[in-house]
Amino acid sequence: SQTSELSRELENGRLLRLMAKLGAINERPEYEGDRNWSENGERYMLKLFRDYVFHQVDADGRPVLDLAHILRCLNKLDAGIDEKVCLTSRDEQTSFVVTYRELKKQVTAAFAELQKPAKGR
Amino acid sequence: MDGDWEEVNRLPLPPPGAHAVPTPVATFAFDTNQELLWIGNEYGRVSSFYGTELQRYTSFKAGEGPVRQILFHDKGVIALGSKSIHMAMRRGPPIWHITHDEMKDLRCMSYTSRGTSEILVAGMQDQMFTIDVDKGTVTKQIPTKEHYTIMKRSRHICAATKNGAVNILDSITFNVIKTWNAHSSLINDMDAQHDFIVTCGYSLRQGQSYMLDPLVNVFDLKNMISLPPIPFPAGAAYVRMHPRMSTTSIVISQLGQMHIVDLMNVNTSNVRQANVLSYLNMFEIAPSGEALALADAECNVHLWGSPSRIRFAELSNPVEFADPDDDPTTMDWSVDTPLSSVGMPYYREQLLSAWPSHMIFEVGAPPPKIDPQFLSTLKATEWGGYGRNTRNMKRNQVENTRTAEKASTSIQAPKFLSEKAREAANDASMEKRINDVVDAIGAT
Repeated sequence: SQTSELSRELENGRLLRLMAKLGAINERPEYEGDRNWSENGERYMLKLFRDYVFHQVDADGRPVLDLAHILRCLNKLDAGIDEKVCLTSRDEQTSFVVTYRELKKQVTAAFAELQKPAKGR
Repeated sequence: MDGDWEEVNRLPLPPPGAHAVPTPVATFAFDTNQELLWIGNEYGRVSSFYGTELQRYTSFKAGEGPVRQILFHDKGVIALGSKSIHMAMRRGPPIWHITHDEMKDLRCMSYTSRGTSEILVAGMQDQMFTIDVDKGTVTKQIPTKEHYTIMKRSRHICAATKNGAVNILDSITFNVIKTWNAHSSLINDMDAQHDFIVTCGYSLRQGQSYMLDPLVNVFDLKNMISLPPIPFPAGAAYVRMHPRMSTTSIVISQLGQMHIVDLMNVNTSNVRQANVLSYLNMFEIAPSGEALALADAECNVHLWGSPSRIRFAELSNPVEFADPDDDPTTMDWSVDTPLSSVGMPYYREQLLSAWPSHMIFEVGAPPPKIDPQFLSTLKATEWGGYGRNTRNMKRNQVENTRTAEKASTSIQAPKFLSEKAREAANDASMEKRINDVVDAIGAT
């Protein structure tokens, strides 16, 4: 039926808007040298979260492409729930345990910064 | 201390690896409210280890260079580096990070009279600072003639100087109340608990070499007098007061000989030997008094205690681990799989995916044209062309292709006056809309 066809696509727009935000804030060259994004800055967790969601690997180090994992993580991020997730840096030297609520707060702050009118840049 | 104390675990740092650089402990401390041992290394990294298994928990970069000291707060841990102070949650994310031009060689810190809401930091430099822990800001800069290497707080702030003395500082004004000359050359370790200060230090022997003094010096803070020293023939390297037995101290030599001594009765002591192949370079006792940590020069941390009773904190809060992801859903990437097959968790607040409603986007403009002259300079390959960017614009700079298109048409069809007027009005209104948006964003 039409309703079931529509409900299949119901989440698409929401997920795309979320992905658009993440894409817009991640790895901007303007952040080079910005302490917030450095290893002891508060935005660093966003880099680690990107890896956690999209760069999963198996025991042999081969990429794992699990769409359900990606969607689960994105949905939890969208809602900003209190569930905790362990994030680890590529060199495995840094490990954080952060909540989706904290991640959402950092994305919101980073995105708000991009929307500010240019000042002294 | 009971008879069944022994080494219950040994943690090699870093775990043996082919390319791992040695990471000796620069400082370590037992957490005061979770079952965690915190270790700071020479490269500014702080890592936590859970329980007697010393299971790796979190790890973060606190600054550059060696971590000098770690203090605990309800909200997180404070790590001191030479040129910065970092506060992070126990789970790892940073809370604040302070740097200052006058922070050149910080060595030690202590809470002040204001409970855990203020710390005093000092070092081998002429300035001390007070820091508001809740706000993460420097509140005061205090000039000092003395350079300090170790700080411990009990009744007052006890600060070891670089030349063997201990200054007793008022914990409100930070003025020196008294100077106690504990050792003739320098202080290697110091602890202050309850009413006592205990120190281990060096003397210059025969004017040539520094030797550890064969005693622990003791100072009574209640009566402000020094007490008879505790003899320790093997050379006292490190000392801690027992946190719950107010007159008991534990003294260790560089080679791991451990004496448990009562300050009130120094002639009877309980002796142990830690199994170290090299020498020890640090010693710490847990706030519960039920665990000890020793660091040796080969990057091992030895955990001591009674196997049946060992624990770190007096009152432990549970450590917050990641929640297990036990959702078994898997799906394929096929176009037939609706993205809605993974449900949203329960939520009440605005979703992150919500975009600001006041933004206006230009759609349907023609794509930017690539300058044919530029194209001709590119080297052609099978996957495309490449060459230097000669475009007089930034990488990914937005172009207004509508006006570019208009301007590039060399021969324009003549326009009626009414048409020109309408265009001018359109341009102006477009401008106005953009200005409105800029104002709206600026106002938020």
